[in-house]
Amino acid sequence: MAVYTDVLCPFCGCICDDIVVEVGEDGKITKVKGACAIGRSKIMGHDRMESPAIREDGELRDCSYDEAIKRAAEILADARRPLLYGWSSTVCETDRAGVELAVEIGAIIDNTASVCHGPSILAIQDVGLPSCTLGQIRNRADIVIYWGSNPVFAHPNHMKRYSYLSKGRFTPGGKKDRKMVVVDVRETKSAKLADLFVKVRPGGDFLVFSALRAILRGHEDVVPDEVAGVEKKDLLSLAEMIKNANFIITFFGMGVTHSGARHNNIANAIEFTRAAHLHTKATIMPMRGHYNVNGFNQVCTWLLGYPFSIDLSQGYPWYNPGETGAVDVLVHGECDAALIISSDPASHFPADAVRHLARIPVIQIDPYPNPTTEFADVVIPSAICGVEAEGSVYRMDSVPLRVRKIVDSKFMADEEIIRRILEEVRAIKEKEGE
Amino acid sequence: MRQIVFKLRDGALRSGAAEVPVDVSPLTPDKLFGEGEDEIKSTKVWWGNRQENVERIFEVSVSGDASGAEEVKVVFEGELRKVKRIGYEMSAGEIVAEGSVGMHCGARMRGGRITVNGSADCWAGCEMHGGTLIIEGDAGDNLCACYRGETTGMTGGTVVVKGNAGECIAQYMAGGEITVRGNADMLAGLDMKGGKIVIEGDAVMPGANMSGGEIIVKGKVIDMMPSFKYEETVTIDGEEYKKYRGDFAIGEKKAKGTLLIRS
Ligand code: SF4
Repeated sequence: MAVYTDVLCPFCGCICDDIVVEVGEDGKITKVKGACAIGRSKIMGHDRMESPAIREDGELRDCSYDEAIKRAAEILADARRPLLYGWSSTVCETDRAGVELAVEIGAIIDNTASVCHGPSILAIQDVGLPSCTLGQIRNRADIVIYWGSNPVFAHPNHMKRYSYLSKGRFTPGGKKDRKMVVVDVRETKSAKLADLFVKVRPGGDFLVFSALRAILRGHEDVVPDEVAGVEKKDLLSLAEMIKNANFIITFFGMGVTHSGARHNNIANAIEFTRAAHLHTKATIMPMRGHYNVNGFNQVCTWLLGYPFSIDLSQGYPWYNPGETGAVDVLVHGECDAALIISSDPASHFPADAVRHLARIPVIQIDPYPNPTTEFADVVIPSAICGVEAEGSVYRMDSVPLRVRKIVDSKFMADEEIIRRILEEVRAIKEKEGE
Repeated sequence: MRQIVFKLRDGALRSGAAEVPVDVSPLTPDKLFGEGEDEIKSTKVWWGNRQENVERIFEVSVSGDASGAEEVKVVFEGELRKVKRIGYEMSAGEIVAEGSVGMHCGARMRGGRITVNGSADCWAGCEMHGGTLIIEGDAGDNLCACYRGETTGMTGGTVVVKGNAGECIAQYMAGGEITVRGNADMLAGLDMKGGKIVIEGDAVMPGANMSGGEIIVKGKVIDMMPSFKYEETVTIDGEEYKKYRGDFAIGEKKAKGTLLIRS
């Protein structure tokens, strides 16, 4: 038996790095310690996609990697508006190959950010991001605000390792040295643990941020008695807490990015953080979901200048979420072929988008079957990054980390699959050029 | 007068189960002025990730003569919802679109006149600097706003929307005038610095982060920004309006925007 310590968990944006994994004589993982339940199940592995396959007469027929890769390349080389989507639960090396493929075929390339924290990215580009690392929060934050996020469910280890419940250098008493504030439209499990819970009417976050900004800037006289279901006195006491704090962190989740004013909510949340700077140190951070959703955005930004939803059809990167996002081009019925990697749009996209996806040729690369497999035309199983393949990833606070390979696998790694498709596409184009 | 008609061929944008948009930014009066019929027909347009002769996608007919771009009229016909960038960066002449049009109609235009006899999808009149844009139907989101990363939207020109307008119209607007006969959705005039917006119907959260310019709302305001200060009641054209100043969320010194709401 082999024991691996300090293993990184390739599931959520926390990327816990203190996991212990035991591997038996047969090379199979026998035990996972230190991870939360979701992380453990990801590392232990479950039902896999066993073989590459191509759909023929409505049925998936098993085939070789070579055959599946060739068919995928033919579909992509032929397409007039191909979409390459997913990229968040794989490593940056795969994402880099994906960008090369997108450039080669004039595709739209997009990751799951466009359906989760895309709005945050748009806002950050508009107004900047006063942020920090999770380590700073652990060591310094005396006020932790979870706004529209429910870490008890979505990021189980988050509070214990990095925020409210953790003990740090200047917060040795853990939660005794901190106050937790939850702002949400309903009283979640996380809200029940909070020192102050502020209940906002759905869609009202934007108004509350503006009111807090005006108060923090000394204009409480203009603010009415009630703002989006919140009494003015509660806003004043939250502002007072903020003014008296040493270090504030606001974690925001999909409750803010996907309601009401969406990305403008986040721009306003960031401006609220800035207004707090008139009094003390304040920071803000998105609660990113998939472990490497941030990594794709980093890779795209350094290679193409933009973080996601990039249209390369005219030979230069054109970035216009709302037009060039995966959901946009699917709902509008624009794209005529799609490659989906490590993602499941069939479960997470709006019905109109899924309907269009089911009508066009779809290539799927994933370790696991999921509802997208039901209509995929080419299916290519891959190794699990962080367990069977190594690579670079970016944590939710943009700290780069290296996930490891712990066990061997018969499956091809994501990066190799994408590079082989790219080679085939180039070969097809060369032939056409002759 | 030289008239150039582009009629979208039936099914020309089909690719399998998809309909791939075509980008017609090269087809403006100023760019086509001086070109012969054959040259016009072989103008390259982007259709998806490949360029095609415009004739493959549109039936083209040309008549009359012009001595300048102002005398060129371009007409688009057929199902135009997947036709993007009509009148993009146009500086003179006239465009008429017979039907509802795709995204970016009249974006970055500097002069001339566009009439859309239907609705216009998102980003119509985006970063517009001059000219006139008339939309007979509704306008989508980001009308007269700016593209991602820019901090100045419309700077000049006149826009009239006879129906309703979508979210975030006139974001970062700095000049020019917009009239919306119907309602404006969330955050009209967000980050506005100058210019004038008249909304004859209702508006949701208008004027957030405003540092200049004027927004007049003749209908109801839904979700009034909590960071505006009531100043006085004024009379315009015989009607009483409540006058607010804002947005105090950006601080008192910068809060130079005016929001007038009919009482
Ligand atoms: S909190 Fe996230 S990274 Fe940590 S073990 Fe759970 S799933 Fe893995």
